[in-house]
Amino acid sequence: MINAFLVFNGQGQPRLTKFYTQLDTSIQQRLISEIFTLVSNRPQGSCNFLPLPPLLAASGTSQSASEPHNDVPSLVTYRHYATLYFIIISTSTESPLALIDLIQVYVESLDRLFENVCELDLIFNFETLHAALGEMIVGGVVIETNLERIVSGVRAQGTVAKRPVNEGRGAGLGSGLGMGGNFVWHGR
Amino acid sequence: MFEKSLYDLIRGLRNHKGTEKEYIQNCLKECRSEIRNQDMDVKATALLKLIYLEMVGHDMSWASFHVLEVMSSPKYHQKRVGYLGAVQSFRPDTEVLMLATNLLKKDLSATLATTMSLPIAALPHIITPSLALSVLADLLPRLSHSHPAIRKKTIVTLYRLALVYPETLRAAWPKIKERLMDKNEDPSVTAAIVNVVVELGWRRPNDFLPLAPRLFELLVDSGNNWMAIKLIKLFATLTPLEPRLVRKLLPPLTDLIRTTPAMSLLYECINGIIQGGILGDGEDFSAREEIASLCVSKLRGMISINSDPNLKYVALLAFNRIVVTHPFLVAQQEDVILECIDSEDISIRIKALDLVQGMVSSDNLVSIVSRLMRQLKASSASSDQQNGLQRPDLETDSSDEASIGPTGKSKSQEHAPPLPEDYTVDVIGRILYMCSQGNYASLSDFDWYIDVLTQLIRITPVPRAVDSDSELSAPVPKYLATDISERIGNEIRNMAVKVKAMRPAAVQAAELIITRLFRLSSESASSHLVVSGALKPTAWVAGEYAFQLSSPDDTLGNLLHLLPRIENPEILATCLQTITKLFSFIAGDDRAQWTAERKSNMSLLMARVIHVLEPLAFHPYLEVQERGVEFTELLKLTAEAASGQAPSTDDLQQDPPLLLTQAIPSLFNGWELNSVALGAQKNVPMPEGLDLDEPIHSNLSALLAQADSLMLPAQDEDEFEAYYNQKAPVTSIASNEPAIKRLVEAPEEVSGSYQQAGEESYLDADIVARRKAERAERNRDDPFYILESSRSGGTSTPIHNILQKENGPGLDIDSIPIMKLDLETVSTGLGDQGTLASSRQQPPSFPRSKPRQRAMVAADETLGGSGPSTPRGYDSENNSDSFAKARVKKLKQSLLQVDSSHLGHLSLDTSGQASDELTYDPEKQQRDEAEMAQAMKEVQRLRLEMQRANERIQVAQGVPAEGVIVKKKAKSKKAKVDGEGGGEPSGGLAITKMKKKKAVEGDGSSGVAVGEPVKARKKKAKRIVQLDEGTRAVESL
Repeated sequence: MINAFLVFNGQGQPRLTKFYTQLDTSIQQRLISEIFTLVSNRPQGSCNFLPLPPLLAASGTSQSASEPHNDVPSLVTYRHYATLYFIIISTSTESPLALIDLIQVYVESLDRLFENVCELDLIFNFETLHAALGEMIVGGVVIETNLERIVSGVRAQGTVAKRPVNEGRGAGLGSGLGMGGNFVWHGR
Repeated sequence: MFEKSLYDLIRGLRNHKGTEKEYIQNCLKECRSEIRNQDMDVKATALLKLIYLEMVGHDMSWASFHVLEVMSSPKYHQKRVGYLGAVQSFRPDTEVLMLATNLLKKDLSATLATTMSLPIAALPHIITPSLALSVLADLLPRLSHSHPAIRKKTIVTLYRLALVYPETLRAAWPKIKERLMDKNEDPSVTAAIVNVVVELGWRRPNDFLPLAPRLFELLVDSGNNWMAIKLIKLFATLTPLEPRLVRKLLPPLTDLIRTTPAMSLLYECINGIIQGGILGDGEDFSAREEIASLCVSKLRGMISINSDPNLKYVALLAFNRIVVTHPFLVAQQEDVILECIDSEDISIRIKALDLVQGMVSSDNLVSIVSRLMRQLKASSASSDQQNGLQRPDLETDSSDEASIGPTGKSKSQEHAPPLPEDYTVDVIGRILYMCSQGNYASLSDFDWYIDVLTQLIRITPVPRAVDSDSELSAPVPKYLATDISERIGNEIRNMAVKVKAMRPAAVQAAELIITRLFRLSSESASSHLVVSGALKPTAWVAGEYAFQLSSPDDTLGNLLHLLPRIENPEILATCLQTITKLFSFIAGDDRAQWTAERKSNMSLLMARVIHVLEPLAFHPYLEVQERGVEFTELLKLTAEAASGQAPSTDDLQQDPPLLLTQAIPSLFNGWELNSVALGAQKNVPMPEGLDLDEPIHSNLSALLAQADSLMLPAQDEDEFEAYYNQKAPVTSIASNEPAIKRLVEAPEEVSGSYQQAGEESYLDADIVARRKAERAERNRDDPFYILESSRSGGTSTPIHNILQKENGPGLDIDSIPIMKLDLETVSTGLGDQGTLASSRQQPPSFPRSKPRQRAMVAADETLGGSGPSTPRGYDSENNSDSFAKARVKKLKQSLLQVDSSHLGHLSLDTSGQASDELTYDPEKQQRDEAEMAQAMKEVQRLRLEMQRANERIQVAQGVPAEGVIVKKKAKSKKAKVDGEGGGEPSGGLAITKMKKKKAVEGDGSSGVAVGEPVKARKKKAKRIVQLDEGTRAVESL
């Protein structure tokens, strides 16, 4: 299952945090900063998986996994879009490559909701972020991967706020999350 | 008053760059008052702001009651904010959760689908067993809701309910199964069910075997790749139980592997085949052979050099699984896997390391370890450059690192980025493990091993165990805290003790390490402490085998210098012992004449030792204190005796004092020490009449109190010490440094040439030079080695000369098959010590020369009945240590883990008797509900009470000026306020009511543990109870 879904920007500022277990705020923040340290030091062209951050590695998986231990979070998957990092922490029952796709689906659905999404949209509409995530993942289990359904599910909950007018695009964030440049896994 | 919207808050945040903290504190303050506003709109907005700030790290647990208020708002958009607040901020110890039950039940039966899905989606985050029990009845009907989105969310929520309250499944599973079997069900609901079944499946595969036909149908027909991936995962857990499934599965899986364009599906097919045990064993041999080779070749393709890094990573994951069952298949891929060790991507490296660790044999050990060493060396060199230092200056490094903290390495990275510290430690640990496993079974060249160890000590990052602050605030990962350098030192000690043939080399290595530590500490400022754990075992080696030291005097001097800077008392105790051993070795020669010179030397030496040891007589650590006192007094006596003994003159022969030559050495010259098996001590029979519980001293506490008043005198470095201890650093180590750097940076020759790339690339120059010298010495009389000609004046060997004359300079000498001439070593110009390539530098394809010395590795000593004393065959001490630690770790639950182990005890068998004992009993449910309703009424009243009390306190205290970030603190503060400032009358009343209510609950047969989440209040209640009892006791008196 999925243990946490995180979004933060290139400075490590969280934009969305969703933990599917109850965790102290301070520990959440430590975990985020540990993952950010890992993710921001990745060389070019490395894979989309991170080694376990110390906080998780310490208490969990010892290498000698003689018996299957599928409850333990063992996989940290991330994707990088323009100024943002999307992180999924999951156990071994999830497929690593499918998780990469899952992040893509999430970003695409945001793109659909906001029309050419950029970091500013996420900053000002974090309720919509939660709503979109809630249409895809409930309690750590993926319930929907279809773009249309996710988008319509969010729209059914009310109108998605538009970007504030006076907060222009030119705020140095570039346009959009630049999804076009990213390769797409053909997992769907 | 004008309230900020969330939008204003965020804009404000962005406009207050630099002063965010202050701004946030102000906002928190505003929110605190706004959230108490009667206007629900204001309340909801304030909550939304708080949720936003919580995301950034500002605790909002204090607002949980207000979250509840917003949740109960009739307006959807406010309710949504409330539920979001609950999801984001409720923790296991949130007290108000029990008040929410009614609300959740109500919202679960709302008419609007959107409203209904709020509690469904929130429940997984806040669920407790008691809550599960009470909402189950409301949740179950939602499984047949007309809206598919509600159905699938409900299914998942039921799964999360089952995790904390397994009985859920008894009631829910038949219905979920019905949904799954329904061919007209919405495909996305089916997919969600499959996801849930996968989560359940690995815990209880037996229960899901009957579903196999339907699942198979879904796999073949659905065309949904997401679901297919999950189905394959599920089948992988089912096939071990039902071998017949394999035959059925193989055709579609093979078909998918051959045709699917989706890489993720392809990978999961392969993975499923591996995990399901479909590879290899079985009757239909040819088909399996085919699929095995198909899988492995696909994986090999994924891992090969130019492929996508993600594929590399997942292929390594798959290999890590195959290696358990089919090690030979993985061993065939050794070449590509080894390439991955050098990947610049740490995730890939670690996975490759996991694999390699299991593949080590005596044939590839050297090449694997040298690869790893090269990495470590390169990264430590580059981090030195970044620090602008020439050599890793251990002490200054540690202070730098500590101040940087976990938030970020902002250092720029030009080339070969420095490896993270925990990775370095991890790799070193693995090297030690690989070399030492099976009592050094894979190790054939112990000389090389000792050199590797010496080099590792230099690479090792400084332990941060000293950093006690961070340990208090949060659990520091264990493997960082245990000093890896001590483990390396232990290996050197093991070598010295166990491998007799290697003892001289090990002692020499220990000597080198001590010298280096001395040099480092004398270079740096005097206040720095020696923290390397390697000192303890190496000092022990130096003391125990002092007769093999090349220069005992220097070693003694170094240790005397280091001693005052050692903080760790255990290291200190060992070093004390070593110093005395060394002294006895140096001074205790009874054949040498007692000349005037010797006399003065000895008394100087003793004065010096006494000077260093004396302060330790007051050390707070008893072991150190005892040894300190012992040795100081002994030496003082000896010094007296020595000064009293007149030196021998030409006429009169005088013996040296017996105390010096006989008494002190006899302290240490007993039996030779051998390694003892782990746990052997447990077999020592308990002597009769030994009572460990008997106090040693009747008035120990008074003694200790006295001892406390004694202070450790400040250690100031006086001229005396400076005179003896400040020494010019040993030059031979540092002087060759630039050459090494050049060697490291030089590009490696060609791919696959790692066997030939010499030791120079990962060993420091001095170590290499020593190896070469030794080798030259050894091979002097060996006719198969040509001696370095430069010994006789710098010209080439005669053979080379002749060849050159005959064939011209273009001759490729390497191609001459008779012997291998390594010109490279000659040309690196390591001077007259350089020799031609040794056997070890040949690629493995050459017939390996037999190890020179088949060194005997001594076994551990143990006591009779050694069965339990050697728990896992035989391994060196370190390994069993780490193994034990790993076990302990395993027991601890991981941070984010959702424990599903409870599920294992529940039977889902719906056929026959199981359905009879289905505990879902409507009548009982009704009873429970009635009880619940009664309890809720009570709770409602309490809630009002609490709120009033709370408000009173707030008024009394005024609004706290600053928000509190750390939750724990906030809690304790609040609790204090409630308990003390909260006015005795109202607080007391509320609490007694609580008690009453709990009593009511306790009578109910249902055992609805509503009181359970109310930990903090319970505590208060207890205190009052105690008070009550106290007064009662007084009354009864």
